Amino acid sequence: MSAAASLRRIGVPRLILHASVLVICIIWLIPTLGILVTSFRDAGQITSSGWWTALTGAAETSAARLGDPASARQDGPNYIISGSVFDGGDVKSGSVVAFGTRVAAPTEFEAGKEADLGDGEKLTVNTDGSYSYVKSGPFDDKRGKRIYLSITQPPNFTLNNYRTVLTSAGIGQSFINSLTVAIPATIIPILIAAFAAYALSWMQFPGRSLIIALVVGLIVVPLQMTLIPLLTLYNDIGNLFGVSSRSYVGIWLAHAAFGMPLAIYLLRNYIAGLPKEIIESARVDGASDFEIFVKIVLPLSFPALASFSIFQFLWTWNDLLVAMVFLGTGKDQLVLTGSLNALLGSMGGKWEILTASAFITIIVPIIVFFALQRYLVRGLLAGSVKGG
Amino acid sequence: MKKSFWIGTAFVALLAGAAGAQELKFAPGEDAKFNWKSYEDFKSAHGDLKGQSLTLFGPWRGEDEVLFNSVLAYFNAATGANGKYSSSENYEQQIVIDTQAGSPPNIAIIPQPGLLADLATKGFLTPLGQENADWIKTNYGSGEDWIRYGTYKGKDGKEAYFGFPFKADLKSLVWFVPENFEEAGYEVPKTMEDLIKLSDQIVQDGGVPWCIGLGSGGATGWPATDWVEDMMLRTSSAETYDKWVSNEIKFDDPAVVGAIEEFGKFARNDKYVAGGVAAVASTDFRDSPKGLFDIPPKCYMHHQASFVPSFFPADKELGVDADFFYLPTYASKPELGTPVLGAGTMFAITKDSPAAKAFIEFLKTPIAHEVWMAQASFLTPFKGAKTEAYANDTLRKQGELLTTATTFRFDASDMMPGKIGAGAFWTGMIDYVGGKDAKAVGGDIQKAWDGLK
Repeated sequence: MSAAASLRRIGVPRLILHASVLVICIIWLIPTLGILVTSFRDAGQITSSGWWTALTGAAETSAARLGDPASARQDGPNYIISGSVFDGGDVKSGSVVAFGTRVAAPTEFEAGKEADLGDGEKLTVNTDGSYSYVKSGPFDDKRGKRIYLSITQPPNFTLNNYRTVLTSAGIGQSFINSLTVAIPATIIPILIAAFAAYALSWMQFPGRSLIIALVVGLIVVPLQMTLIPLLTLYNDIGNLFGVSSRSYVGIWLAHAAFGMPLAIYLLRNYIAGLPKEIIESARVDGASDFEIFVKIVLPLSFPALASFSIFQFLWTWNDLLVAMVFLGTGKDQLVLTGSLNALLGSMGGKWEILTASAFITIIVPIIVFFALQRYLVRGLLAGSVKGG
Repeated sequence: MKKSFWIGTAFVALLAGAAGAQELKFAPGEDAKFNWKSYEDFKSAHGDLKGQSLTLFGPWRGEDEVLFNSVLAYFNAATGANGKYSSSENYEQQIVIDTQAGSPPNIAIIPQPGLLADLATKGFLTPLGQENADWIKTNYGSGEDWIRYGTYKGKDGKEAYFGFPFKADLKSLVWFVPENFEEAGYEVPKTMEDLIKLSDQIVQDGGVPWCIGLGSGGATGWPATDWVEDMMLRTSSAETYDKWVSNEIKFDDPAVVGAIEEFGKFARNDKYVAGGVAAVASTDFRDSPKGLFDIPPKCYMHHQASFVPSFFPADKELGVDADFFYLPTYASKPELGTPVLGAGTMFAITKDSPAAKAFIEFLKTPIAHEVWMAQASFLTPFKGAKTEAYANDTLRKQGELLTTATTFRFDASDMMPGKIGAGAFWTGMIDYVGGKDAKAVGGDIQKAWDGLK
């Protein structure tokens, strides 16, 4: 089959569509790929070259010191120092491409060729790192000569970044803390919001639209504005009962309150869109509001519940600010984001830790997403109403 | 969920292995470079705090946090108190939230006098009293200056002493690689004129003299403020500097504009900076010093504070592979002396308790300084701390600069109101490096400052 025939079979518009989807996907994935590759490289590599060079062996220039002048042996009129540039441990082994004796021109001479340094000195560095440094008279330097090498090294990856993050003190505790915060802080607002959403869409009572408008209005209130008043309230309550104002209950309630307006709004829109016929026939059959909610509305709104719980879980899992304020900053109170952040140090800038941490924190949200994802695609309403 | 529970269990197992009782880094009485007598004296004077809790909150995270905890361990061991340090990336905001909501830590550690002054005015800080101020005056190098940076107006409008300085940073430093200098035959410049001559010499030899990076995420621009402050101290008197900080002279005053232009001599010269002027604002300050160690070197010199070695490649040994010199002064202006620009962290009591008072006393013992000095990255203006305790010669030389400086001035941007020192000044510097006129930049910053009044 010719290319033209297969092109005709697929169709040009579809081909363009597929190609553009592919391109967008690739562009979308590049940053993640970059972070993934970076997380497997050591700090030195990250600063010296880009992650896209990681898969091909890169040429690195480094400095090495030749053997001590005292180790020179005499051969006729010449003095010779020989050895391998990899002996000193200054340089990681690889194959030498070029060398030089001045820092301003580190690749002046090709490996394997003799370089005339003037003053009767000659230096040869071979690709395997062995060198011979010959002078027509005795060497009079105090220290070994410093030379510069361009060395190609095979691609090199390390698991050390992950090891550093996973074995840092307190990381296990903070992982548990994060789960303790995120799970109830996801379930509580959904439970309450589902009840509210049903009432606001299927029960008739005065002031209903006003309440809906109020809830929608609350979505735009930035949570940062509430931090100080809310913490003051917690402190007062804590003092009244003689308990600490920083507790899990406090942060659950805070997260629940911050997530509630959006939850009610999303769920109400979904539940209000359920077919009237189902609810009405249930009423005719004598079901109470509570029965309708539990037996009909709740199962039918699973896709909306699932998508909101993914949102809320991601938000509580990734949150740092609310946890720092309402749970505290002590070692045993830190959530995962907090303790990973502390690993970066006072000045930040540790890319190797940052990227490895990113892939460690991503695990739990991914598990949650895949666990709930099937509810999103299942067509629960298919065929529930005749002609609907 | 079962799976994540299992992962959680694995983490708990890891945690159990890592946790352990906090030990004293150096056994008391063993090493003569420490002043153990001060530790024993403190112990007998304050050993009665058993079980009392003390919370400290500050800016140090990661390695710095480990270092500070090693100092805190001595306090805990001596007094029997249970001192706990914690930190947060946004500690400036967090301390405001905590004090306003009424759940502050016992002691707040803050590097910005401007922020502390703000907390003091609102009545959230407990004054440390005149005896502490007097102690600083006699025991710290440039003690009077340090007192000034810890003295603020309280809620009653009266000035009192609130901030106890512990751990200083030195800003007026230029970092270089001695071997590169040696190979090219360059000498460490003794005057600003020589420094400019050396920069020109490097350009002539085909090299690039400076690495300047102003990038720092949301704080981009701050390294330029250090440059301008250093230049200000080298072109105008310390009194003018103080007036600039308090806005008695305007930001577009010829003295300030002149200092900005001094900085421009370096940062706005395409031949002087690695990557050209366009790279100055976009290079991260943490990546910038690495150019010194490239082969061939991206640059020969880098102006940055004493903390910067933590961003050098891991295998570089201070004093051998990298060293610093004092950013020299103009030979034509001998009347300005040798001014030193620095910064420091201030300890302030946000919730008074006997343990909090005892901790301030602890900071007056040489041992509190020496334990950190002996490990890394710690400078102190405290004359009573033994300089032998410094972990290396580079630190010792910096420490001596601090204790012997004729003029010590605190980082101006840290003392200006937050909207200027951590806002308009930063963005103004980015505009300036981007090609805007120094006078216009000064005018913009002044306009922002006028808006606060």
